[in-house]
Amino acid sequence: MATWTPDGRTKRPELAARMANHGDGWQLLAPTVGLFRRGIAPGAIVRGGVSLGELDVLGVLHDVVAPDGCAGVVAPVADQHRGEVAVGFGQPLVLIVAAAALAPTGEGDEPAAGAGEHARLVFPAPLSGRFYARPGPDRAAFVTVGAEITRGQTIGLLEVMKTFNRLTYGGSGLPERARVIAILAKDEDDVEAGTALLELAPL
Amino acid sequence: MARAPNKTPTFHRLFIANRGEVAVRVARACDDLGIAPVFAVSEADREAPWVAGRETVCLGPARAAQSYLDPVRVVAAARQSGCTALHPGWGFLSENPLLVSLCETHGITFVGPPAHVMHRMSKKTPAKRAMRAAGLHVIEGSDGVLADEAQARAVAERIGYPVLLKAESGGGGRGMRVARSSGEIASAYGEARSEARAAFGDDRVYMERLVEGGRHVEIQIIADRWGNVCHLGERDCTVQRNHQKLIEESPSPVLDDGERQRTLEAAVQAARSIGYVGAGTMEFLLDEQSGKLLRFMEMNCRLQVEHCVSEMRSSIDLVHEQIRVAAGHRLSFSQSDVALAGHAIECRINAEDPNNDFRPAPGTITKWHVPSDAGIRVDTHVTEGYTVPPHYDSLLCKLIAHGPDRNAAIDRMLAALAELICEGVPTTAAMHCTILASEAFRSHRYDTRTIPGWSAGKGS
Repeated sequence: MATWTPDGRTKRPELAARMANHGDGWQLLAPTVGLFRRGIAPGAIVRGGVSLGELDVLGVLHDVVAPDGCAGVVAPVADQHRGEVAVGFGQPLVLIVAAAALAPTGEGDEPAAGAGEHARLVFPAPLSGRFYARPGPDRAAFVTVGAEITRGQTIGLLEVMKTFNRLTYGGSGLPERARVIAILAKDEDDVEAGTALLELAPL
Repeated sequence: MARAPNKTPTFHRLFIANRGEVAVRVARACDDLGIAPVFAVSEADREAPWVAGRETVCLGPARAAQSYLDPVRVVAAARQSGCTALHPGWGFLSENPLLVSLCETHGITFVGPPAHVMHRMSKKTPAKRAMRAAGLHVIEGSDGVLADEAQARAVAERIGYPVLLKAESGGGGRGMRVARSSGEIASAYGEARSEARAAFGDDRVYMERLVEGGRHVEIQIIADRWGNVCHLGERDCTVQRNHQKLIEESPSPVLDDGERQRTLEAAVQAARSIGYVGAGTMEFLLDEQSGKLLRFMEMNCRLQVEHCVSEMRSSIDLVHEQIRVAAGHRLSFSQSDVALAGHAIECRINAEDPNNDFRPAPGTITKWHVPSDAGIRVDTHVTEGYTVPPHYDSLLCKLIAHGPDRNAAIDRMLAALAELICEGVPTTAAMHCTILASEAFRSHRYDTRTIPGWSAGKGS
């Protein structure tokens, strides 16, 4: 299955991920059945042709590359892929959020460096459920726009199957401290796992 | 069904590499045996009724070539979903030796014969040679592949015209040409070769005497890995349209007992001699021109759509036995335990318009009711509100009627067909009523060329 370059090295076969619109970004979906490994890290910049990870299809490693026409920053997800994940056709691999500075026709030099400058950092919901921004109806919200938050700080509640869970700030790809730029989910919104709740700027 | 003891250890998880009615049938056996089935689905079948509440792996887009027909995706999905066995059902990849080899390579037990047996039986002349050696009659013809046109002419002179030139790797009626005289040999040989090269990538052809208007009879075989082979009697599938079977019944109403017994025994011997494992079917042509002999045509290395007919007569669950045998167990019965009772008939209800040249008709089923009388079995994946997708075959449901004799089974089937309600898409149910009620069907005056009681131009 490997293709050969003229100097004799093998080159992994490439598969373009499928793409679905998702809010103000895209979901990149598995192009076939396989074991997905080495997924791209949150915060990295993605453009058409960038490798998103490798897909093991019955022992043959394929590079999964981003399709043309998408550009953005990899959003952190709650159940960050660790090790390998068995994926079916059309299963989401990566969520990317469009970044204003990254038009799909970007000039394309030095993509990885300086990603933090333009990357839109978001804090996603770890589970599907109902989001509460305040501890009680007559209490102040956990966080406000412009506030600084640190790892471990409670930023809201998530009611999942009649159980209230504290949402504590943290997660891979997120800085130790950050400033809240926007609260994306409204109080008592029903959110899906992975839905961005807070937009952040690193401090 | 009672005979398969459910406590036999087999597999924990089994991958069903099929869809629709086939997936439903295999899943029922899994549920009986305490196996957790994992279903392959395409994008079009993700929300299908038969996978509601079940574990699924999406293989690919709706087009079968990129989902159900891709052996790599199928085996990758089986492996990563933790299945140790794979049931291919029938159709799709069920006779694909590559799928079997991939399963063997990746540590998944294929529910079916070994890859080398499947490969051998998929080539026509080795299959014929093996069957002749085991004592079955074959259709007279060239001994293997034809070397050139001169040899074709010589073989035709020896066996007599008309003759049929067939592709070595063929199937589905393609790569076949008839020559009715020596003048037609040259063009038939050339055309069969070029069509075979285009369709199957293999231009080798062989020759057989053309048997016109025979009846299609097939024998159900089941074998284990210990050399035990049993048959479950024969089925008569003579009512066909363009090589697509419409009605199957067992026993064959026109076969005499001597020829039946001799061929059943020879078929068991033949299956044993090639090392067959699992359920399989040998297809024969009842040659009424020369001595009413059953002549071997080909072997299907899989379960067939119409296996239910044999199950109704024998009360043996063939999918249970297939799974047990794949797990290395012996058959749960021996030939002397097989008691074939009464007469069984199956009608295939397709989403096709018989009055409009059998045009397939996908669409949404707005009303659906199936009969549930005694002696009637219904195998279906359809529920009310189901949308028949345009990507796959048109089978909606199979009705199987069992009765003490042929007339009783026909009457039961007619009552069941009258009770069946399907609104939203046209079906072949009314055509089955016409056929079953016809004098030609009741008195067996038909062969594979004609549909009894149904004239081709009717309604169009």
